Amino acid sequence: MESEIGESTSRPSCSVNGGNEAGDFECNICFELAQDPIVTLCGHLYCWPCLYRWLRLHSHSHECPVCKALVQEDRLVPLYGRGKTPTDPRSKPIPGFEIPNRPTGQRPETAPPPNPNDFSNFGLGATGGFVPMASARFGNFAMSAGFGGLFPSLFNIQVHGFPDATVYGSTSGFPYGYSGAFHGGHAHGFPQTGTQVQQADNYLKMLLLLIGVSVLIALIWS
Amino acid sequence: MSGTSAPSRKGLSKIACNRLQKELAEWQVNPPSGFNHKVTDNLQRWVIEVNGVPGTLYSNETFQLQVDFPEHYPMEAPQVIFHAPAPLHPHIYSNGHICLDILYDSWSPAMTVSSICISILSMLSSSTVKQRPTDNDRYVKNCRKSPKETRWWFHDDKV
Repeated sequence: MESEIGESTSRPSCSVNGGNEAGDFECNICFELAQDPIVTLCGHLYCWPCLYRWLRLHSHSHECPVCKALVQEDRLVPLYGRGKTPTDPRSKPIPGFEIPNRPTGQRPETAPPPNPNDFSNFGLGATGGFVPMASARFGNFAMSAGFGGLFPSLFNIQVHGFPDATVYGSTSGFPYGYSGAFHGGHAHGFPQTGTQVQQADNYLKMLLLLIGVSVLIALIWS
Repeated sequence: MSGTSAPSRKGLSKIACNRLQKELAEWQVNPPSGFNHKVTDNLQRWVIEVNGVPGTLYSNETFQLQVDFPEHYPMEAPQVIFHAPAPLHPHIYSNGHICLDILYDSWSPAMTVSSICISILSMLSSSTVKQRPTDNDRYVKNCRKSPKETRWWFHDDKV
């Protein structure tokens, strides 16, 4: 504990020097790594037992110890990390004073599951509408700007129900000769599969192909 | 002098002990400027030297602050008093008691010894006149040993 407290064995003491690596996750009351961490709406982190004891036993007003903002117990946000230590030394130091469980998180509903029909709707109604979504999905390739021109045209094809090469040629979305040729090879394959399997499956397969092609382009370009 | 005081009778809780050790370690790495803490074995009582800020009424003066920690620190505020001779200040009584809200009603467990020290030095530095509180004699005669048992009335936010 003397001078430099670098990476010592006990984690909390690491944060002693100004660097504060774990400091971001230290309770503002006990200064240890927060246990049963809970965050106020003003953004200040505490151990739940520390905050509870302060609010219920010691403070005169329900204020955040750091910034004095009003703290409402039902509006605290618990932080659920991965690990959970069952022994909490801070939860039972005072006999006869039980600390209840943390307030639970307020959980919004899950996002609705993706509906395959939506794709055709998208394609029919607004091809442009699909582009942001596509670029978001394939954003990892960092080429979304380049794809922007490609996607609308590809989805035009989808809308028209797997056209042959003539329809394909008539779409105007292929400004680049190189990529157009590249896609052309795949496009010719669609009618064959389309005749054998059901429409819904086709949409899926096409999407997969599209992804595959995008990956290929990404690999080539990078 | 109101040296020995009530809160040191009970030992520190484990939480208090851990927190004070952290504060002490942080102090040693990064002490507030103008303060000097002579570390002793006694974690529960810190005696801190305060140096008046140059350019203020208290430049070149040195005072001793005594900080005693209660069992349930930081849930409860520490007791902070000046050793004699206490600085001449409109909010500091001749027995060393300090009229400063954060030491009593406005204490928050997020505060530290370091932040208290800075507040006290700021209070000293912003003083425009070296004098005792107007009710000094009456207060010193009647008060309890610990300023924490005083019912303070905080009225002046200028100094």
